[in-house]
Amino acid sequence: MSAYLISMATFVGFFMILALALNLQWGMTGMVNFGIAGFYALGAYTSGLLSVKLGWPVGITIAMSCVTGLIAGGLVALLSMRLREDYLAIVTLGFGEIVRLIALNEDQITEGPRGLKIDARPFADMFDRETYPLVYLGLVALAVAVVFVIVECIRRSPMGRTLRAIREDDVVAEVLGKNVLRHRIQVFALGGAFMGLAGALYAHYVQNISPEVFMPMVAIFIWMSVIVGGAGNNWGLLLGAGVVMTILEGSRFMGDFIDFLDAEQLSAIRIIVIGVLLIAILRVRPRGLIPEPKFSFAAASTDQERQPSIENAK
Amino acid sequence: MSGQLIINGIVNASLIAPPAIAFSLLFGILRFPNFAIGAYVTVGAFIAYALNVGAGMPLWVAGLGAMAGTAVVVWLSDVLVFKPMRGHTPVTLLVVSIALALIIEHVIRLFYGADVRGFDLPLERPIKFAGMRITGEQIDIIIMTIVIGIAIHLLLQYTRIGKAMRATADNEVLAEVRGINTSYVIAFTWLVCGALFGLTGVFAGLDLVIEPLVGWYLTIPIFAAAILGGIGSPYGAMLGSLLVGLAEELTVLVLPSSYKIGVGFVIIAVLLLIRPHGLLGQPEIKK
Amino acid sequence: MAEDLLQAENICVGYGRGDIVHGVDVSVSAGRIATIIGPNGAGKSTMIKAIAGVLMRREGSIRIDGQEIGGKPASEIARCGVAYVPQEANVFRQLTVTENLQMGSWIEPEEFDGRYEKVCALFPILKERGKVRAGNLSGGQRQMVAFGMALMVEPKVLLLDEPSAGLSPAMVEQMFDIIKQVNKTGIAVLMVEQNAMQALKISDHGYVMAAGQVAMSAPASELLDSSEVSELYLGTRQ
Ligand SMILES: Nc1ncnc2c1ncn2[C@@H]1O[C@H](COP(=O)(O)OP(=O)(O)OP(=O)(O)O)[C@@H](O)[C@H]1O
Ligand SMILES: [Mg+2]
Repeated sequence: MSAYLISMATFVGFFMILALALNLQWGMTGMVNFGIAGFYALGAYTSGLLSVKLGWPVGITIAMSCVTGLIAGGLVALLSMRLREDYLAIVTLGFGEIVRLIALNEDQITEGPRGLKIDARPFADMFDRETYPLVYLGLVALAVAVVFVIVECIRRSPMGRTLRAIREDDVVAEVLGKNVLRHRIQVFALGGAFMGLAGALYAHYVQNISPEVFMPMVAIFIWMSVIVGGAGNNWGLLLGAGVVMTILEGSRFMGDFIDFLDAEQLSAIRIIVIGVLLIAILRVRPRGLIPEPKFSFAAASTDQERQPSIENAK
Repeated sequence: MSGQLIINGIVNASLIAPPAIAFSLLFGILRFPNFAIGAYVTVGAFIAYALNVGAGMPLWVAGLGAMAGTAVVVWLSDVLVFKPMRGHTPVTLLVVSIALALIIEHVIRLFYGADVRGFDLPLERPIKFAGMRITGEQIDIIIMTIVIGIAIHLLLQYTRIGKAMRATADNEVLAEVRGINTSYVIAFTWLVCGALFGLTGVFAGLDLVIEPLVGWYLTIPIFAAAILGGIGSPYGAMLGSLLVGLAEELTVLVLPSSYKIGVGFVIIAVLLLIRPHGLLGQPEIKK
Repeated sequence: MAEDLLQAENICVGYGRGDIVHGVDVSVSAGRIATIIGPNGAGKSTMIKAIAGVLMRREGSIRIDGQEIGGKPASEIARCGVAYVPQEANVFRQLTVTENLQMGSWIEPEEFDGRYEKVCALFPILKERGKVRAGNLSGGQRQMVAFGMALMVEPKVLLLDEPSAGLSPAMVEQMFDIIKQVNKTGIAVLMVEQNAMQALKISDHGYVMAAGQVAMSAPASELLDSSEVSELYLGTRQ
C-alpha cells in the first residue's frame, strides 16, 4: 500500500511539473497549449533514446530533454506567432499528435508500440531496491520545487506583470512598449523545457515508454489541474494536480465496491466523471477554485515605471 | 495507381465535407472551434449501428434515424453545455468542448466497449474500371455529399430561415434588432448541423469502421478543411474538404500511410502561416 | 399630460457590474426629433441600447404608445415598430447590400418591393451596389446601408446612434436632410450625435447627457442659443 502511495505521489509530481509549465504558458501569458503530451513524449524519448542507444549518462540525457523541449517550444511559438488562440490550440494539438505518430511509426528507432525499455536510472547503484522509489520521489519533488520556484519568481517579477499584460490584451501590451513576440517565445520555450524535464523523469521512472501513453488525453488532465487550481495561481494548481490524480486513481478503488462493471466500464466512468467535473467547475468558477487576484493594466504600467524591468537590467 | 488515389481522395473528401460545412456554420454562432464535432459523428455512427444491427432496420431508415437522433443530441449539447456558458472566453469554451467530447466518447464506451463494428450489409463487389475500383457505397457517399452541398447552398441562399442563419452568424445583435428570433435560429442551426454530423457518422460506418474514436480521427481533417476554406464560410469548407481529402490520400505516395492523420495538421499549420484567414475567408475586423 | 409616442422614464442600465446610466428620462412624440448630445462615455449609446432592448434596463419604464416594452427581447421591440441603428457593427458584413435591405423588412417581407424603391430613391447608391457585400463598402456607404435598412422597417420610432459618423461633410448635410424628410412622415426620431450643431438644428428637443445623467433638457433652439452648451459641445467660440 505504501509502495502504491509512493508511486502515486511520484505521478502527481510529473503532473505538477506539467501543470506549472502550462500555467506559465497559459495561466500567466494566455498562450494555449494542447500539445502537452507531445512535449512530454519528446522529453521521455529524448532522454530514453540517448541513454539506450548512445549510452549517455542519465544526468546529461535529462538535461538534453530540457533542451529539446526548449527548442521545440520556441519553434512552435515562433511558427504560430500570428495565430489567434483557438488556432494555436489546433496547431499545438497537431504538434503533439505528430510527435506521437513519429514515435509510433519510426519503430526501428523508438521500438514503436512494443515500447522502449530504459535501464538507466539516476543514482540507482547508490540505493537498494526498497528505498529507491522513495529516493526517486525525492528527486521528483526536488524537480517540482525547482520548477515551482522558477515559475513563481517569474510571476512576481516585473516580467510576470508584463506577461499578464500580454494575456489580458497583447495589443495594449504592445502599446505599453512590451516586446510581446519575444516574451511569448521565451515563455513557450521555457514551458516546453519543463515539460521535457517531466517527460525525462517519467521515462526513467517507468523504464518502459510507448506511444499510447502520450495521447491528447494527457493535455486534458493537465488543463483540468490548472483550471481546478485557478489559472495564474501556482499554489492552487499544485492542489489541482493532486485533486485530478486522486480522482483518476481513487476511482480505481470503486471497482472493489461495484462488481457489476468491468474494468473498461470503470475507466470509462472515471473519464466521464472528470469531464463532467471539469465542465461544472468551468461553469461555476471559471477562474478556478483558488483564483488569482485581479489584474489591472494600470498596475502593469506603473510598476514598470517605478522599477527597472528585467530587460533593462540585463 | 494514382487514379485510384484520386478516387480514394474524392471519397475521403465526401466524408469530410458535410461535417466541415456544419463546423463552419456552428463557428459562425459559437466563435470558437468546437472539438466535440468528432464525438457527434461517433454518436451518429452508433445510433445508425444500433438501429441497423440492433433493431434490424434497413440502413437507409437507420441513417435517417441517426440524423434525427444526432440532431437532438447535438442540440441538447448546446442547451445543457454551451448555451449557459455563452460569453465565456473562446479558450474556456474550447476546453469545455474537449471535455464534452471525452464524455460522449466514454459514454459510448460504457455501452459498447472498444470493439470495432460494422453495419449489417450484403457484401457487394466493387465496381472496377481501368484498373481502379470503387464500391457502390462509396458512390452513394459521393452523390449524397453533392446533394447535401447543393441543399445547404439553396437553404442558405434562398430560404427565409437560411438568410436568418447567415444574418445571425454575421451579427447576432443586429439580427435580433431586425426582429429575428435569434435563439430559435440558433437552435435550428444546431439541429441542421447535428443532422449533418449524424449523416457523417453513417458515412464513416460505411467507409471506415464503427468504433468510439471514429469521429476523433475525423476531427482534424474537418478542422483542416474548414480552416483551409476560411472558417465560417460553408462554400470554402466544401473546397477545403476536396483539397484535404486529396492531400491525405496523395501523401501515401511519399510517406507511409500511417502518417495520414498528420497531414491535416501540417496543412493547417502551413496554411495558417501564409494565409491566417483561409483561402476564401475574410479577415475578421475587431469590433 | 398626454403620453408621448416613445416615453422612457427613470432608466437605470449598465453592463453587468453597476449602472452606467442613472435614472434618465427621454421622450419623443410622433413627427418630432430629439437629439442626445454629450461627451464620450457619457452613456448615450448605453441609453439608446436600453430602449432598443439590446441591453436589459435594470430599472425604469419604457413605453411605446403607452404599451410597456421594457423587459421584452429586442426582436419583439422591433415588432412594436422600433428601428434601431447601432453606432458600430450596424450592417451584416457578409451579406450583400440588397440582402441587408431584405433583413430590414424581415418582419413584413411582403412589403419589401415597395419599400425598396422608396429607400433606393433616397439612396440611389444602394441599388447600384446591390450585389456588393456590405463589408466591402466604404465606411460612409455602410452608414447608408445601415440607415436604409432601418428605413425598410417603416418604423414608428427610429433610434439612431451617430448616423453621421464616417460621412463626408456634404453627405452629413444630406443625411440630416433625409432624417428630417423621413421624420416629416410622422416618425419619431431619437438620435445620438457628435455633430451637435447640425443635429440640433433639425431637432425639436435636445438632451445633454453627462456621466450617465441628463444634465440639461430643453427645446433644441434653446440649447443652440445657450452659451454654456455652445462652449462645451458645439465648438463655437464666442
Ligand atoms: N460592452 C460594454 N461593456 C462594458 N462597458 C461598456 C460597454 N460599452 C460601453 N461601456 C462603458 O459604458 C460607458 C458609456 O459608454 P457609451 O458607449 O454609452 O458612451 P457614449 O456616450 O455613447 O460615448 P461615445 O460618444 O464615445 O459613443 C463607458 O464608460 C464605457 O466604457
Ligand atoms: Mg456611443
